[in-house]
Amino acid sequence: MDRRKFVQFGVAAGSALLAGDVFGQETKPGAAPSRPSPKRAVFPGGQPAVVTPNGVTLPLKEKGGLKIGHLVAMPVKHTFAPGLEGDCWGYNGRTIGPTIEVVEGDHVRFYVTNKLPEPTTVHWHGVILPNGMDGVSGLNQRPIKPGETFVYEFTFRHPGTYMYHPHFDEMTQMALGMMGMIVVHPRRPKGPPVDRDFVLMTHEWKITPGSRRPDPNEMTDFNVLTFNSKAFPGTEPLVVGRGERVRIRFGNLSAMDHHPIHFHGLTFETTWTDGGEIPVSARRPDTTVLVPVGSTRVIEFVPDELGDWAFHCHMTHHVMNQMGHGMPVMVGADARKIDPKVQSLLPGYMTMGQTGMGEMAEMGMPVPKNSIPMGGGAGPFSSIDMGGMFTILKVRDNPDTADPKGWYQHPKGTVADRADAAAMKADGIDPDARFG
Amino acid sequence: MTTRSFFSFSALTLVLGLSAGCASATLPQHVGEVNDIFAARNRRDLAASVPQDEKDWEKTAAEVPKLLSKPLDADGAVRIALAQNRDLRAAFYEIGIARGRFVQAGLPPNPEIDFGVRRPNDPAQPLQLDIGIEYNLTGLLILPLRKGVAEAELAAERLRVAGRVLDTAYGARTTFYTVQARRQELDLRVRALKAFQAGYAAAEELHRVGNLPDVDLATQRAAVESARIDVAEAENRLLDAREDLNVALGLSGEQTDWTVEAPLPDPPAEEVAPERVEQRAVAASFELQELEARMRVASKRAGLAQTEGTLPHVSGGFHGERDGFAWEIGGHVTVGLPIFDRNQGTVLSARSEFGAQRERYLATATSLRATVRSALNRVESAGRRARHYREAVLPAREKALAETLLQYNAMQVSVFQVLESQRQVTQTGITYVETLLDYWNARAALDQILAGRHRGLALGPAGAAPSNTPSGGGSAEAGH
Ligand SMILES: [Cu+2]
Repeated sequence: MDRRKFVQFGVAAGSALLAGDVFGQETKPGAAPSRPSPKRAVFPGGQPAVVTPNGVTLPLKEKGGLKIGHLVAMPVKHTFAPGLEGDCWGYNGRTIGPTIEVVEGDHVRFYVTNKLPEPTTVHWHGVILPNGMDGVSGLNQRPIKPGETFVYEFTFRHPGTYMYHPHFDEMTQMALGMMGMIVVHPRRPKGPPVDRDFVLMTHEWKITPGSRRPDPNEMTDFNVLTFNSKAFPGTEPLVVGRGERVRIRFGNLSAMDHHPIHFHGLTFETTWTDGGEIPVSARRPDTTVLVPVGSTRVIEFVPDELGDWAFHCHMTHHVMNQMGHGMPVMVGADARKIDPKVQSLLPGYMTMGQTGMGEMAEMGMPVPKNSIPMGGGAGPFSSIDMGGMFTILKVRDNPDTADPKGWYQHPKGTVADRADAAAMKADGIDPDARFG
Repeated sequence: MTTRSFFSFSALTLVLGLSAGCASATLPQHVGEVNDIFAARNRRDLAASVPQDEKDWEKTAAEVPKLLSKPLDADGAVRIALAQNRDLRAAFYEIGIARGRFVQAGLPPNPEIDFGVRRPNDPAQPLQLDIGIEYNLTGLLILPLRKGVAEAELAAERLRVAGRVLDTAYGARTTFYTVQARRQELDLRVRALKAFQAGYAAAEELHRVGNLPDVDLATQRAAVESARIDVAEAENRLLDAREDLNVALGLSGEQTDWTVEAPLPDPPAEEVAPERVEQRAVAASFELQELEARMRVASKRAGLAQTEGTLPHVSGGFHGERDGFAWEIGGHVTVGLPIFDRNQGTVLSARSEFGAQRERYLATATSLRATVRSALNRVESAGRRARHYREAVLPAREKALAETLLQYNAMQVSVFQVLESQRQVTQTGITYVETLLDYWNARAALDQILAGRHRGLALGPAGAAPSNTPSGGGSAEAGH
C-alpha cells in the first residue's frame, strides 16, 4: 500500500465514522440525548439545568423536603471513543458518574451501594458537611464492603461546583473512572443569568493499545485524556447560541496533571472555584483556564462569533490518543533508506513520521485491537489530527434546533485558502523568499 | 627307504575340480549374496549396486550420475552411498577373503610322491630307483570339519558385511539430514543478519538526520558485525556437513557439486509407535545373528580341535623300489600317537571363545533392547517437540511479531523492537530446525535398529542443541 492509498483508506474510514455514531455514546434510558435539550429554567432565579455532555444527571426523589439519590459503585464497560473500549469502574453504569444537581440548602440522602469487588466510600469533594459524612475510609467511616449499602445524609450549605469520588483505594478507583460532578445552584443567584450551563470533568488514563483495563499504577505516561471520560472524537460538542451567556464548570480529578483549557474564538472570565464565587473585581479576561488537579473552575462567556470553535487542553500530549514514547524521532529521515531493508523481512512495515506526524491519523495503518493511536476525528475540511481532551464549541444562531453533528457553513470568502499568485505578486509576496 | 633322497619335490597340485566354481567368485557375487539377505528381509532398497564385471571396479554405477544431476534427497544419498562408498566396497571384498578361506578349507590334502635314484659304488650294479607315494589320511578325514568351520566363518562374515551396508546407508542418511539442517540454519542466520542490517540502516539514517546518538548507532553496528560472525560460522558448519556427506557418499571431483533443495520435512502429524519393537529389533539384529554365527564358528572350531587332538595322525603310502630288474613293492602306515599334544590348548581356547561370544550375545541383546527403547522414546519426544514448535511456538512467535508490528503502527514501539521480534521468529526457526534434525536422526536410528543394526547410532544428547542466540542483544533499546 502506498501512502496515497493509506490516505484514501483513512478518508473512507473517517466518513464511515461520521455516518455512524461519531460519539460512540451508549444510549441508555435516562442518558442525555446527543442533541442538547432546550434550556430549561428549573432552578431558582431562572437558572437552567446543567448539561453533562456524554453524561447524565442523577435523578433525585423528593420526599418531605428531602432529596434522595442512589449511587451504585460498579464495574462499567465504557467506550472512550470509537475503537477504544475499557473495563472501568464507575457509578450507575457509567463513567463519569451522574452529575448531582441540587440547590443551596437542599437536605439530601444518598444511598451508596457497593457492587465493586473491594470496599469503597464516597467523598463529597469540596462540600462542607458533618465530619462523619466526609467519606474518608478509616478516618470518618468504615469502608463500604462489597454488597453493602451505606447512607449519607447532609445539607448542601454552600452553592458552587464540587465533585465526588471514592476515598478508599483512591489510586485504583479513580484511575478506573470513579468520579462525578456536583452542582449546587445558589438559592438567590447573583449577576447576569446564564443561558447554558455545562459540566466537564477532565481526567487522564493509561490504556496500553490493545488492552482494556486502565492502569492505576501509571504515574506519568497517561495516554488517554478525557472530558467526561470521553476522548475526541468521542466527545460531544457543546452547542450554544450566539450572544448567549454560557457557563462551563470544569473539574479535575486527573491522577497527576493540571489542564490548561484553552478556548478559541472567545474570551471568558473565571467566576467560581470550588472555594466559592470570585468577586467581580478580581475577575479578568482569559482564553485559557488552568484547572489544577483536585479543583474545579467555573468560567462564563458570551460568544459573538458563529462557528465551530475548538477548545482543549493546551498540553500537546493531552490532545493525542495513545501515543507511546518507545520510538525514536523519525522526522527528517529518508524512508527509502530504511523501508526496503525492513520490508524484505516484514512486508507490512512502513517508516512513519519522517515528515512529521500530523498526517498519521489519516493513514489507517492496522493497529492493535481496541486502540485509537494517533487518533483524531473527521472535520469538514480534513481529518482533525487531535484526540484526547479536545472538543468543539458550536456557536449557532439557532442552537436549540441546530444539528450538533453538523458543521458550520462559512460565509463565502471567510475561509483561509490557497493564495492567488497574482494577488501575492501584487502584494509583494515572494513565496520563494530565502532567509539566511 | 634306507637310501638317501637325491631330490624330491612335493606340492604337485592335483586339480580335483570340486571347488573350481567357488575359487572364481567375484565382487558382484559377494555383493549379490548380501543383497539376497536384504531381499529376504524385503529391504531391496538396501541392495548395493556394483559394476557387473570386477575389472570395471573404477566405473561409477549408472544410477549415480542420474541421482547427482538433480537436487539430492535422503533416499538418493543412500543409493549413492551404497553404490560408491569405498569402505563398503572393501567390506564386500572381505567376504571374498572369507570365501577364499572356505574354499581353501575344502581342499583335500595333496599326496606326496618321492622319487629316489641311487648309483651303487659297484659299477656293475644298475641304477637303483625308488618311488614312494605318501598321503595324509587324517587330513582327509578331518576335511568336512575344517570346511564346516570355514563355512560358519563365511556366514558370519556375510552378516558382518550386511551390517556394514546398514551402517553406510544410515551414515549417508543422517549426514544428509545434517546438510539439510545446516543449510536451513545458514538461511536463518542470514535472515537474522538482514534484520540487524535493517536495524543498522534505520539507525544510520536516523543518526544522519540528527535523531539518534552515536551510542545507539554503534550498538546497532556491533550487532551487525557479530551477526556476520554467526553467518560465517553457519557457513562453515554447512561446508563441514557437505564434506562429511561427500565422504559418506564416496564422492570426489566434479561429483561434489551436488545441491540440496528440500528443507528437513516437518514431522508427520501423528507418530505411530511401532508394535513389538523390542522383539522386532532382536529378530532383525545382524549383530546378534553374527554373534550367533561366531558362536557356531567357535563351537565347530572346538569340535575340530578336539577331533584333531584325539585322532591319531595317520598317513599311509606305497613304496616301490627297483633293484636291478625287479620291482619291490610295499606299503606303510605312519601313526602319530596323541599322547602329549591332544590339542588341549586349542580346545580350551575355542571353548572360551564360544563362552565369550555367548556372553557378548546376551550383553548385546540387553543393550539392543535398551537402545531401541531409547530411540523410540527419542522419536516420540523429538516428534512432539517438533510438532509443538511448528504448531504452537512458531505461530505464537509470528503472532507476537504481527502484534509488535501493530504496536509499531500505533507508535508504541520502535522499528528496532519490531526487528527484534522478527529475530525472535528467526531464532525460534533455528531451534525448530535443530529439533527437526533431532527427530529425523532419531527416526533414522529407530529404522536402523529395526533394519538390524544398533551400534554406532548418533542419538546424541536429548533436546535441540542450544544454538547460538543472535549476537547484539539489547539493540531493541536503541533509539528508545
Ligand atoms: Cu491537559
